Amino acid sequence: MASLTTRLIMTVTAEPGYNATDIELARAAALGDAAAFEKLYQQHHRRVYSLCLRMLGNSSQAEDLAQEVFLQVFRKIGSFRGDSAFTTWLHRLTVNQVLMHFRKRGVKLEHTSEEGDFTNVVDTPLQSTRRISLVDRMTLEKAISQLPPGYRTVFVLHDVEGYEHEEVGSILGISIGTSKSQLHKARMRLRELILKKNE
Amino acid sequence: MGCKQFEEMISDYIDGALETGEQAVIERHLADCESCRALRDDLLQLVHFSRHLPEHTPSSTVWTAIQTQVKSERRVGLRQRVARWLARLEERNFILSLPQLAAGAVALILVALVVSVVLRREAQQSAETASTPASAAISKNLLSYPDLQQIEERISQLESSVEQRKASWTPDLRQAFERNLAYVNQSLIECRQQISGHPEDKVSEELMLNAYREKVRLLEGFEAF
Ligand SMILES: [Zn+2]
Repeated sequence: MASLTTRLIMTVTAEPGYNATDIELARAAALGDAAAFEKLYQQHHRRVYSLCLRMLGNSSQAEDLAQEVFLQVFRKIGSFRGDSAFTTWLHRLTVNQVLMHFRKRGVKLEHTSEEGDFTNVVDTPLQSTRRISLVDRMTLEKAISQLPPGYRTVFVLHDVEGYEHEEVGSILGISIGTSKSQLHKARMRLRELILKKNE
Repeated sequence: MGCKQFEEMISDYIDGALETGEQAVIERHLADCESCRALRDDLLQLVHFSRHLPEHTPSSTVWTAIQTQVKSERRVGLRQRVARWLARLEERNFILSLPQLAAGAVALILVALVVSVVLRREAQQSAETASTPASAAISKNLLSYPDLQQIEERISQLESSVEQRKASWTPDLRQAFERNLAYVNQSLIECRQQISGHPEDKVSEELMLNAYREKVRLLEGFEAF
């Protein structure tokens, strides 16, 4: 009766010096181990919150969603199979929560813009002589939060989080072409926002 | 190529998604056009910085709220489990064999084990911080663990409360209760025997603690009927 499970669980949470992997923690949490669940939270809450914050552009909504994400983790951890990385699983769960939040609030993700939506490259003053960096992080984060939701979502998924266009397309239910063009427009808009700020 | 065409392709260019031919055309334009070079440089910076943004920390209220919710869902979970299990018993017309019930109980005990390991550690920690100097040679034997006394007290409370309710139970419910109680009691006896023979057997100690807790749960579950 002193089964393998027993030993595994005891190792995961009981030994102070032992650094359990995410998968071990997830298994223990699925069996009801509150300490393992807390450890998962400690290790991942910043990433989850940051992702919510960037996709929503609003810190109190991001906190609400981060909370909802970890409650979902608590409820669904048993369905995590361990054949993907825990971070990948958690990440997808977070993105889905944000998208559900958008849907509930009737936020439109497709942003149809006219050509004149952002300043054309030819009208932009020359910047190549700048010695200082175009971007500082604070300004960049602020500018991202000012993007329309559709641009922001694609930009955050692709440029911040590193998803490929194929993945972005399948997550958002849009074509690869749309994903690419939204991304391009997002980048151009960001540049414009930042240049305006630096003027 | 003009600047307008260049602008349409710049994102693909910096993402390395262009074919060699297109890339060469772009680069030719770049060599001649200062404003498009500026655009390229800006976007490259943008993309680079976006990949390396710092993480942010939510306020501590987030974890507090999660914990509160999780705790209440755990309690509901226990009640539902008992209810589901009883429903299953009814479906099967109470012909579950003892091994089946036993298997169920073993599974429950394994689940509860996790909780107990954590509980024990937390209790030890708080005891360590609370207790004053002498540190009363932390007992090597879990049998004298202070938790046990509490559990025994809780059990006797529950037993008398369940005893009163029993009168209104159906024979089937009573039978299910007795059977499971018998199983848990049997586990307790076995654990005690094992421990008295092998005082260093930590696993048996853990299992015994859990059989105790399982007994509490069982009584708590049936107290609701
Ligand atoms: Zn040009």
